[in-house]
Amino acid sequence: MTDSKYFTTTKKGEIFELKAELNSDKKEKKKEAVKKVIASMTVGKDVSALFPDVVNCMQTDNLELKKLVYLYLMNYAKSQPDMAIMAVNTFVKDCEDPNPLIRALAVRTMGCIRVDKITEYLCEPLRKCLKDEDPYVRKTAAVCVAKLHDINAQLVEDQGFLDTLKDLISDSNPMVVANAVAALSEIAESHPNSNLLDLNPQTINKLLTALNECTEWGQIFILDCLANYTPRDDRESQSICERVTPRLSHANSAVVLSAVKVLMKFMEMLPKDLDYYGTLLKKLAPPLVTLLSAEPELQYVALRNINLIVQRRPEILKHEMKVFFVKYNDPIYVKLEKLDIMIRLASQANIAQVLAELKEYATEVDVDFVRKAVRAIGRCAIKVEQSAERCVSTLLDLIQTKVNYVVQEAIVVIKDIFRKYPNKYESVIATLCENLDSLDEPEARAAMIWIVGEYAERIDNADELLESFLEGFHDESTQVQLQLLTAIVKLFLKKPTETQELVQQVLSLATQDSDNPDLRDRGYIYWRLLSTDPVAAKEVVLAEKPLISEETDLIEPTLLEELICHIGTLASVYHKPPSAFVEGSRGVQHKRLPGSAGSGESVESPDTGSAAGVSDAPPAVIPSQGDLLGDLLNLDLTPPATTGPPPPATSGMQLGAMDLLGGGLDSLMGAGFGAPPAAPAASFSAPVSGGLDDLFDLGGGVGMPMGAYSPPKTVWLPAMKGKGLEISGTFARRAGVIQMEMTLTNKAMSVMTDFAIQFNRNSFGLAPAGPLQVLTPLSPNQSIEVTLPLNTVGPVMKMDPLNNLQVAVKNNIDVFYFSCQYPISMLFVEDGKMERQVFLATWKDISNDNEAQFQIKDCHLSSGKTAGLMKRKTHHCTAVRCSLFSY
Amino acid sequence: MISQLFILSSKGDHLIYKDYRGEAGSDVIDVFYEKVTALTGDQPPVVMSHKDLHFVHIRQGGLYWVVTTTADSSPFSIIEFLNRLSSLVKDYCGSLSEKAIQMNFALIYELLDEVLDYGYVQTTSSDVLKNFIQSEAISSKPFSLFDLSNVGLFGAETQQNKVAPSSAATRPIQSSRDPGGKSEIFVDVIEKMSVVIGSNGVLMKADIEGEIRVKCYMPSCSEMRIGLNEEFSVGKSQLRGYGAAVRVDECSFHQSVQLDEFQSHRILRLCPSQGEHTVMQYRLSDELPSAPPFRLFPSVERDSAGRLLMYLKLRCDLPPKRSVSLLPEGAGLSQELSSPDQSAELQLQNRTVFWKIPRLCGGTQLSALFKLDVPGLSSASMLEVGPVGLSFELPKWTGTGLQIRFLRLSPVHPGPSQRWVRYVTHSDSYIIRI
Repeated sequence: MTDSKYFTTTKKGEIFELKAELNSDKKEKKKEAVKKVIASMTVGKDVSALFPDVVNCMQTDNLELKKLVYLYLMNYAKSQPDMAIMAVNTFVKDCEDPNPLIRALAVRTMGCIRVDKITEYLCEPLRKCLKDEDPYVRKTAAVCVAKLHDINAQLVEDQGFLDTLKDLISDSNPMVVANAVAALSEIAESHPNSNLLDLNPQTINKLLTALNECTEWGQIFILDCLANYTPRDDRESQSICERVTPRLSHANSAVVLSAVKVLMKFMEMLPKDLDYYGTLLKKLAPPLVTLLSAEPELQYVALRNINLIVQRRPEILKHEMKVFFVKYNDPIYVKLEKLDIMIRLASQANIAQVLAELKEYATEVDVDFVRKAVRAIGRCAIKVEQSAERCVSTLLDLIQTKVNYVVQEAIVVIKDIFRKYPNKYESVIATLCENLDSLDEPEARAAMIWIVGEYAERIDNADELLESFLEGFHDESTQVQLQLLTAIVKLFLKKPTETQELVQQVLSLATQDSDNPDLRDRGYIYWRLLSTDPVAAKEVVLAEKPLISEETDLIEPTLLEELICHIGTLASVYHKPPSAFVEGSRGVQHKRLPGSAGSGESVESPDTGSAAGVSDAPPAVIPSQGDLLGDLLNLDLTPPATTGPPPPATSGMQLGAMDLLGGGLDSLMGAGFGAPPAAPAASFSAPVSGGLDDLFDLGGGVGMPMGAYSPPKTVWLPAMKGKGLEISGTFARRAGVIQMEMTLTNKAMSVMTDFAIQFNRNSFGLAPAGPLQVLTPLSPNQSIEVTLPLNTVGPVMKMDPLNNLQVAVKNNIDVFYFSCQYPISMLFVEDGKMERQVFLATWKDISNDNEAQFQIKDCHLSSGKTAGLMKRKTHHCTAVRCSLFSY
Repeated sequence: MISQLFILSSKGDHLIYKDYRGEAGSDVIDVFYEKVTALTGDQPPVVMSHKDLHFVHIRQGGLYWVVTTTADSSPFSIIEFLNRLSSLVKDYCGSLSEKAIQMNFALIYELLDEVLDYGYVQTTSSDVLKNFIQSEAISSKPFSLFDLSNVGLFGAETQQNKVAPSSAATRPIQSSRDPGGKSEIFVDVIEKMSVVIGSNGVLMKADIEGEIRVKCYMPSCSEMRIGLNEEFSVGKSQLRGYGAAVRVDECSFHQSVQLDEFQSHRILRLCPSQGEHTVMQYRLSDELPSAPPFRLFPSVERDSAGRLLMYLKLRCDLPPKRSVSLLPEGAGLSQELSSPDQSAELQLQNRTVFWKIPRLCGGTQLSALFKLDVPGLSSASMLEVGPVGLSFELPKWTGTGLQIRFLRLSPVHPGPSQRWVRYVTHSDSYIIRI
């Protein structure tokens, strides 16, 4: 207590001393005193009591002292608004000072004093300074308008400062232009609809001219502003690109990245066959590589951006794989980011190199990095089919090291490889089984159990292996428990005689002794399935699983587009849209890439992006959650006639859609079916039961009227490609049977005979139910109508788009291939109703899954909607779940 | 847009705090310090967020230079700006330290006022700023040529310290106002080498990143011309003249560099401003003009007693007088080294053996035998013996062969002026796989 007393007295004494010094006559002493005041201010002491004394020092010719006083004012004016008024006169006087430094200083400081009363006095001096003869004052005044706008936007508009600011864009001094652009950009952001920053070819031209002359920081403002412009046509876009390209060799990496942003955006407008397009691609690589020579922090930011760029345009860096090889002294966060990019760039051409590197990484010391490296090997195997064999042998080598975490990670990825290439590498199972005991992580255990269950018929002691896991069933994590349940059921179906006891044991463990509803429900479903119809159970549980996708972790295309528009900013580091982390009104507009040349649409819809988009678009990517759900909603709600791309979903919709998934069943029901997709937010409130009713009504209502409808025939195989055979056709559903109706026309000179048809594997297992009925030979210039009944028992493989069907037609001349798209509606059965409880129970199970399983679930979800596959309703859902969980 | 800027000491003391936009209070400084000290090694430290505020920071001179922002600004420009700012402060105050900042806070506030306005970067050029800055720097130390604590560019005690008085590099630029100041200019060619040599001795990857850095302490220097090797070429296909060309893949220049004579005569023309600048940066990958400077012939085996034997032979293919230090990896004890002035050390937590070689002459060869007792050594764990990493410093040598042909100043300054040209190559990551 005495201590604190002592402390306050000294403080008082100190302030008293300073007060005396501030009022001293000697300039030097005054200056020293003000410095001391500011020193105390910096360390956080309260020196506001000295306000009047410091303000008294303001009237001085000494610029150094004046600056110090202004510094003090900026800090304390807000807490002492009444006293701050005392300073106004000096400010106004200083704005008239012959020295431009003082004029600028006064305007700058006044703008920083956020006191309403002062802003009134600011207007007149500001107006003068905006027209000052000295560019230093003008550029300071330009920024001051932005400051004032933040304090009192109305005042700025009323005083007409915005127009003056716009005039400054044409200023002769590039520094002034840059600041005016920066100020206008910021003001425009808070008025998204105003036409403040009226970008037209003339202003763009002015900006481009200023770009060459201003400082590096000014260049950044201007480039960022350019990035918001949408050129009218590809020619304009090219000319801007040409003038921006020299910035790529700037030493300041921020300038480089801003230039890359502009180029990436405007490139969208350029036709791909243009020579310039190729040149531009080549020019983009070196500066991006150079960014990697910076310090690790910048490298990390650069890599996060490159990650986006590689996803959008892998061709830019496809020859630069080596620069992403990891250095031993890179910090771990840089290593992991590099690894990610390496896999994205991996292709048949460089896979050997990549694999050799990854193998090296897998022997390093850092555990996290090693794990990620092993995972990367698995991803390579899945991405580059030709390399799968080498990847598997590399993984086996790694398993031989017996390093615990390497082995576990390797088993997890080998499971994925099995999912992609079934029945190809089963020879390694024996090696895997040797390592069973060393597995202690749930993910690895679950993976191993999956493998044992999946290949139970080839593992002699599969039952013993699984039984050993069963002993500690209750101590396992849910993931392992679920997997074990599925695996044992699989085993039972494959070897029913020896394993009856085992399956009963696991079913009772899961249903009676477990508190976990997921596990219990799954147990019950298996139980009922097995007890009612073992054949059906076999069909369901051992159904052929869809192959896993090439790339599981791509950023969703609309988000990617938006992030590309934000290259170099925080959004590109977080990989989140700015609206996710910038508060309130600012920055909520979603930026989009401009449409590609020639196409009328300004925005590519997410679904057509990969398919109907540009010819050399990145390899087909399975649409991620948001899209698929979008698909699903559109397919259900839009009239069946539109088989084309669904209306472009807004970004809001995309986000909403993802929320839906996260939110699980309740919101899914409410939002998905209760309201049109345009207003997802509103529909969240729909009560669950209501949503559910809707769902069932919808399910019942959709199928029947659709049966009669069939879209008009379109040409599937033009005569040019079919050596004279032209095929046009359509799909229809008649009397519960899906039919493919085709018109075959012989436009060749010779007679055609021996017609046959075959389908490639497709999303819903469509297959011809009978042979193609063309009985008579088709003579030249003759047409024939054929109706081919279809069923849905064929092999399943996910297609992109979902309703794509690849068909091969053979005749006596050759085999012809074409692909067509069928309306999903024809798959709906008329009796699509389902018991609510069953549906709910199964559905709940699905939505409780973790994220990794969403992909496949979605694909099934949509098939779940298409009752064509729903031969046995409950069974089907179980099938969905089984293959899900077995993944 | 930058919202706030502050400088903290490594202990978290507030040295400088400036609020540009009034979007957040000064209490965020402590939030930042808590966050940054709680970071673990594997988290990227670049951007941290707290509510709506995002922190971007760098560490320079043992200090935290932090910027906060609320909008979706560019971390690139912020980091780049902070780097510039710290070198500006270094130029103005002479050195970067807690003490220097505390003594010159008024000067730094003045600087901060000019370089940023309402969070927009205005300029970071010391030439422009010269016109606005009123305060004089207070040097924390009297400038002395013989002050041994002033460590120069090259860090360790190389003979360079005797060649060039590199302590001159820690002078505040404004001391040029003192008539007694010596006018000097330093041109440094600094290269960083990263090499990967496969276990079969094949060169798998070799990159060089280099830069030419100018430190100028001339009171007035109107123009400087730096001549590079005439056979210097940029890009893959372009070859000039006869003999081995000095080639780089890509180079970029400081914006003040005039390149009109570059195409024809390989001359960079610039008017250096006071302080330190990177004039040119370049990069070369894969095709080095010469063989990599070091080769290692390792053999790793298991002896009958179950010990791990690592026999390393290191060869240096360079002219004499180079210093090197080495770090291979393993685990255990007992060593035999080929010469007495080397030392070796086992670091258990990193599972690494360090082999330190104070100096290695070009054209010579050193060898070392490490015997390591590893419990439970199996043939599989031989696979785990990791790569050998070399870290070294090669003065007076550049991997690309880039040389400064001449350095001309015009108009010729009266008084005594000194020009120094220095070359050094560092290892960035020099890996030899076993």
